[in-house]
Amino acid sequence: MKDDTGYIGLVTRVVAVVIDAAVINLVALLVSLGAGLILSLFHIGSVLKDVLIVVGAVVYVLWTISYFVGFWVTTGETLGDRVMRIRVVAADGSRVKPRWALVRIVGAVLSALPLFAGYLVILFDRRRRGLLDVMARTVVVESPNLSITARRRARRRALEAEHYIRSSDSGDERVAFVPQP
Amino acid sequence: MPEDPKDNQRSRAFRPLGGIGGRAAAATLRPFTDAAAVELEALLATALDSESVQRGLRSAFESDGGKQLVADFFDSGLFDEFVDRLLASPSLWRLIDEVADSPAVTAAISQQGLGFADQVGEEVRRRTRRADDWLERLAHRLIRRRNPS
Repeated sequence: MKDDTGYIGLVTRVVAVVIDAAVINLVALLVSLGAGLILSLFHIGSVLKDVLIVVGAVVYVLWTISYFVGFWVTTGETLGDRVMRIRVVAADGSRVKPRWALVRIVGAVLSALPLFAGYLVILFDRRRRGLLDVMARTVVVESPNLSITARRRARRRALEAEHYIRSSDSGDERVAFVPQP
Repeated sequence: MPEDPKDNQRSRAFRPLGGIGGRAAAATLRPFTDAAAVELEALLATALDSESVQRGLRSAFESDGGKQLVADFFDSGLFDEFVDRLLASPSLWRLIDEVADSPAVTAAISQQGLGFADQVGEEVRRRTRRADDWLERLAHRLIRRRNPS
């Protein structure tokens, strides 16, 4: 049994990774399409073509790593995590440090190697941690962030409240009206 | 009949006076016409609010004669012609463009779009959270079945 319902389970995390994979591949596809179109203007030998393919593969791997590491280190949420409203944090609740984010990437690859057995650990761990989380000392929790519309609504209400307070202070009855939601 | 030039000159000379007279008459009568308009409006509102008038209108609309009248109106092609003319009018499309481009409408559409996406996202999140729990229960049950001790 879990000791806290705030930890996120396997299905939600898989959906988030699927969204991330879609984003990563879409960007990679667009970039490679652009690069391919530009390179089509030049005559390129077969050796250079092989080299470019290797360079492209390396760039793709670097892009994938920097996508995950960048988001985990800065906001704790990749785009997929944001959609699913989940967040990666250190076990003590603080932000993930860059070196642990790199360890987590390595852990993600290692978890996938034995037929994704490293991820199945999530089903049995008290804090719903996979092998990658154990290695990087992280947990995946509910994100406290509001949705886009909820954020907009909250911002609008805050502005209205501020306007109300200001106009009340000035004693102007005409602008003191605040529309009810 | 050819117009007399003298008459024409006279009428041109009196035209400003006529305009002044008309404006003076309108200004004098305005309080009366305004009061009459208010009274008429109140009278109409009272009449439409009255139960008997509403009952009468309802029975007129529901009667065979009323239905026949509506059917005749549509069969006459008058409505089709009205719609055709309306659609051919450039003013209508200008109005539609103005409305579609207005910030209030675009803001409302974007707000609705975001609201819908948010609703879909919320539903997906709710279902995946439930699937998380279900999968874990299943995994625990399978493990327990393998190790009955």
